[in-house]
Amino acid sequence: MTTLISKEEVASLVRPTRLHKRLYLDPDVFELEMERIWGQAWIFIGHESQVPNPGDFFTTNITHKIPVVMVRDKGDSVHVLHNRCGHKGAKLVESRQGNVRGAFRCPYHGWTFRHDGGLLKVPNESGYDSTGFDSSDPCYSMQSVAQVESYRGFVFATLSAEAPDLKTWLGGAIDCLDNLCDRAPEGEVEVAGGVLRYEHQCNWKFILENLNDTMHPMVVHQSVVQAAEDYIATLPESAVEQRSEAEIIPPFGSSYEKFEDSGITGFRYGHHYDGGKTSIHADYKVLPAYHDAMVKAYGEERTREIYAFNTHNTLYYPSLTIKSAVQNIRVVRPIAVDRFVVETWSFRLKGAPDEMLQRTLLYSRLINSSFGMVGPDDHEVYRRAQEGLESNASEWVEFHRQYGRDQVLEDRVIGGGTSDLDMRTQYKAWQEYMTGEVFQ
Amino acid sequence: MSNPDLKQIEQFLYREASLLDQPDLDQWMQLFTEDGSYWMPAMEGQSDPLNHISHIYEDRVMMEIRRRNFVHPRSASKEWPVRCSHLLGNIQLQNQTDSGDLVVTCNFHVIVWYREEQRVYAGTCEHHLLAEGDDYRIRHKRVDLINPEAAQRSMVIYL
Ligand code: FES
Ligand SMILES: [Fe+2]
Repeated sequence: MTTLISKEEVASLVRPTRLHKRLYLDPDVFELEMERIWGQAWIFIGHESQVPNPGDFFTTNITHKIPVVMVRDKGDSVHVLHNRCGHKGAKLVESRQGNVRGAFRCPYHGWTFRHDGGLLKVPNESGYDSTGFDSSDPCYSMQSVAQVESYRGFVFATLSAEAPDLKTWLGGAIDCLDNLCDRAPEGEVEVAGGVLRYEHQCNWKFILENLNDTMHPMVVHQSVVQAAEDYIATLPESAVEQRSEAEIIPPFGSSYEKFEDSGITGFRYGHHYDGGKTSIHADYKVLPAYHDAMVKAYGEERTREIYAFNTHNTLYYPSLTIKSAVQNIRVVRPIAVDRFVVETWSFRLKGAPDEMLQRTLLYSRLINSSFGMVGPDDHEVYRRAQEGLESNASEWVEFHRQYGRDQVLEDRVIGGGTSDLDMRTQYKAWQEYMTGEVFQ
Repeated sequence: MSNPDLKQIEQFLYREASLLDQPDLDQWMQLFTEDGSYWMPAMEGQSDPLNHISHIYEDRVMMEIRRRNFVHPRSASKEWPVRCSHLLGNIQLQNQTDSGDLVVTCNFHVIVWYREEQRVYAGTCEHHLLAEGDDYRIRHKRVDLINPEAAQRSMVIYL
């Protein structure tokens, strides 16, 4: 794809403490983001547990448009293939998930493909004899995405052959994926309880900026926190004790000091998390049956260590954000400059009692549902920004908080929980991806 | 009430719908029993509200929190007026639950005016009704959208 925006022009849109409004409004910038960021970074496709049996598949788009299918083959390997027939390009599977049994069969002329994408059979093949058609040429198969790797069941793919291996790319932020899985007594998680899809009518970057924007919860979520706190205060203690809502909602109203203490840690390629020593999830009760299973699996000391690493949101820029301490994830799927979908998936901790999954689902429902009391207020302020930025009062949005105070360590940058370190981290990566220098 | 009167049941459902149309969550909540619940599954034919995600699954405590949130002056998503128009049809008395509640199903179309946009929701409802004198109370209301798996936009009101 050729672009009309020069490298210098793109680079000039991001400054150390401000961003040009074209990042949110300009369809050409969006197309370039799809090509340079979503077309190069490791994008989260799905979790291996979504395709437990040979022939099971799950479909999604790796950019705003490019359709891919994650599929398990008979040898138990999981592939991510372009969802495109090697003949005339028809999408092989259309449903979000299912099982293709023996092979993929194109609905158009009936070409079939193995689970690893290889061309199996072309009907009435003699018509191709001595025509120069070479059925072993990969261009006639369902081609694999350039690189596919999974880490603890989380399957990522990249359209770039130049991207470093997944572990290198994840860097120190890998600790949060480990922590999510380590919270399972069996050390493994699996997708459970379905998915929520939430259409956002604004630019995809707003949600990434919001994840670790700890200056917003006490403002945006004031209403639900007050509604919950005021009403809970009128209830008898015995009625409140058993309710996870009473631990989940109020911490959104935590003070600036509390959020400052949680800290933010940033990494290469735009990844970052807030919390670590503490987070708004740190005071959840530990279910005795769960604790017993953990201690049995890990011993008391390691169990405490796993609990103690308590993060709020981790972003694996640009597509995946996880809550290790809650065991749910949100996946960003961009559609257009002012539209994207967020998928919320929840995980079962293998070896943990059902109540753990139920709490995760309760959290997803309360916080991430489009019909919830938290998500719609977040979405509303993103849309206000999307609409407000059309104004020509200024071309820039600012992010100065604690600029110049970040502590730069060897593989990470750490700073205050209410700083804009998360912004600095992700827009450094944005600039590197967009100018084509990211993997050089 | 030994012989449930469909006409009366219909009148009750219409009254409930018109409270949501306004919307008057205060009065609407009062229609529920103390152990009443509201459920909007996120999957077709979903059988489990606890071990599977839902769009909404709330009891009276959460309804009261939602009501307070709904009228709170500092909630940006609620600065927009919300008005609904429910149309119910195909109202049928099905059977009784083990505890004797009447199971009533109906189809609904709801047009919602929110954020300068007119939106359509459609699906089926299942009410579990407790007969109380000449009146009813809702023990459980289940709302099945025809597109529960679709990406949904922000919505701040019960349907
Ligand atoms: S397009 Fe698939 S077989 Fe022709
Ligand atoms: Fe928020």
